[in-house]
Amino acid sequence: MSNVVLETENLEKVYAIGRRKINAISDLNLRVNKGDFVAIMGPSGSGKTTLLNLLGCLDRPTNGKVILDDVDITRVPEKALWKFRKYKIGFIFQTFNLLPYLSAIENVELPMEGTKKSKSERRKRTHELLEIVGLSARKEHKPPRLSAGEQQRVAIARALANNPSILLADEPTGNLDVKTTFEIVRLLSKLSLTQGTTIVMVTHDSNVASRAGRMLFLSDGKLLDREKKGMHLLKGDLTCPHCHKPIQSDHTFCPRCGKKLE
Amino acid sequence: MGALTRAVRNVSRRKIRTFLVIIALSFSMAIMISIPAGIMANQKAAQSIIENYNNTITSMQEEINKTSTLIEISASSRRGMFSGTPSGMPFPGFEQEETFINATVVDEISTIEGVKDIVPFLEVSSEETTEETMSTPRGSFTISRPVYTITGVCLKSTFIDEYSILPTNVIDGRNLTEGDSGIIIISLNLSDYYSVYVGDKLKVYSETFKVVGIYNSTARTVHMNITDVQRITENMGNVSRLDVYVEDISYVDGIAEVIEAAYPEFYVTTYEDRLANLERTQEMYETTLENAESTVSQTQAVAFQEILVAIVATSLIVLFMMLYTVRERTKEIGVLKAIGFSNWNVMSQFILEGILLSVIAGGVGALMGTIGAPVISSLLLPSVNPFSTHQSGFPTQNINFGTALSQSVTVTPDPQTLLLAFSVFLLLGALGSLYPAWRAARTSPMEALRYE
Repeated sequence: MSNVVLETENLEKVYAIGRRKINAISDLNLRVNKGDFVAIMGPSGSGKTTLLNLLGCLDRPTNGKVILDDVDITRVPEKALWKFRKYKIGFIFQTFNLLPYLSAIENVELPMEGTKKSKSERRKRTHELLEIVGLSARKEHKPPRLSAGEQQRVAIARALANNPSILLADEPTGNLDVKTTFEIVRLLSKLSLTQGTTIVMVTHDSNVASRAGRMLFLSDGKLLDREKKGMHLLKGDLTCPHCHKPIQSDHTFCPRCGKKLE
Repeated sequence: MGALTRAVRNVSRRKIRTFLVIIALSFSMAIMISIPAGIMANQKAAQSIIENYNNTITSMQEEINKTSTLIEISASSRRGMFSGTPSGMPFPGFEQEETFINATVVDEISTIEGVKDIVPFLEVSSEETTEETMSTPRGSFTISRPVYTITGVCLKSTFIDEYSILPTNVIDGRNLTEGDSGIIIISLNLSDYYSVYVGDKLKVYSETFKVVGIYNSTARTVHMNITDVQRITENMGNVSRLDVYVEDISYVDGIAEVIEAAYPEFYVTTYEDRLANLERTQEMYETTLENAESTVSQTQAVAFQEILVAIVATSLIVLFMMLYTVRERTKEIGVLKAIGFSNWNVMSQFILEGILLSVIAGGVGALMGTIGAPVISSLLLPSVNPFSTHQSGFPTQNINFGTALSQSVTVTPDPQTLLLAFSVFLLLGALGSLYPAWRAARTSPMEALRYE
């Protein structure tokens, strides 16, 4: 199995508004490897959310391929796409989109409904996830009684429920204040580094994007040539993705296991 | 955390809306239960009319056969009309002046060849009257009528033994016997009316009589020695009716003609007259039956329409409620699909909510229907009422429908009806939510997530 989790080939999305056609995404080629934390930046209307919808099986491209875990999902019938959304993809939304009548624990457990996991396994996994996002103490609270940052943490835990191949985050800090933004980005970074979670995050905030391992720029539906390496990790959270031992931000190789750091 | 728990939370989180929908659905359910119960009650009522008809005709036939050698002579025309009536109670609203036959007529008739026995009766109304309100299709009015009727009987043992001149169904105490005077027997109805029992005394006109027996009858009557009646009503030497028994049935017509010729002021009734009366009664019964059957079929037609309306209303209420819910929760549908819910998962969620509403409303409606079936069915269905024939001019006093009907027409839904209505209701809940659920399932997750 290759190291590539997600790949697009000549991806194109055209919207027709009357006789007028708008190229939301044009000839886009992207490769995301396992464990990557990719930030896609771009101004409003550049096609960021459209791209995320195409990658997340929420929308169909006009042309091109989206290969997720070696499967071209553009060729998967509409009725079978739910399996990819359930097991391969975890979504994080700007507005959190938690179900208001369910508690934090119930929201996190929701994607596991209908899986082969037993009830106790599901509950155990839910507790683990809430522990990871630091919300064990607030697990019985319903969204209206949680702060915005806490709601987004629950949403992240929910996205991780079925251990997906990739997390797709659409402006995950768009509704948060600076302090909470920092906490959420640090959480995503931590997940990428310690859990090896592959993340594609769309944002228009360069400060947020700079925390990702890779920064891509989208303009008028096309990826620009320039690509930047982000800080990848936030100070104080630096650990090797391979051996999980502490590292420094300027290390290119892990001083403990000797493996290359991306 | 399953789909059912989510359905319960969703149904319960909008309490006022859910409450109103459940009330509306409950009424539909109550109608679905009450109407079949009403139909069954009407069918039972019609059945009781038929049974009553058969019993009355049979007893009248037997009575006529037993009295083939009897010629009745009465001072009033109505006596003849009412021959064979079990009660002898005047029909309310018919006031008449009491006229009498002088006892000397007995001696004159007894000289006619072929006459075997002459049994005199004196029937008078009580002094006390009661006011009763009558309800008719043309309105209500109040009438005054005697509380009871007094029948004076000639207490000769040969008459008592041979002609059944006294009530035969004494349920307490004893019957009258030859020579009794100053004592009475009363009907059960009168006993209940005055709370007078065997051994008690009852004032009749100016005198007080001891009650020695009570006989079973729905009419309010008193039987006593004819001489006592003549004395207290100051009708010495008067009778109101003569039962003339002849030697053989072949003499009846001849003797009746002689009596009619000699006493044109009296009304003479023979076996043939009573048969004719029976035929009139039969005709009246048949008309009543036709009316009852027609009402039953009308009821069924009306019931079918009303149940259809209830079914359509139930489906529409669930349909619009669920359509509104789906629209309101579009974004939630988008989220569910984005996190991996299949179309079937989403669809079943909404169908489950529709069924849950139906289960709650079905339960409430079943309770409402069980308790309110008599009221609901009386509001929505025409009832089988044989007395409606009264307005067409038929005398119904010979037919005692009332008791039979009041006992038989009890509108209570049976368990099978409840179960069937509940099952239909659940099915309607599922069908009503099918289209909204299907719409929810085919919603594009991307568009749903954009919905505000």
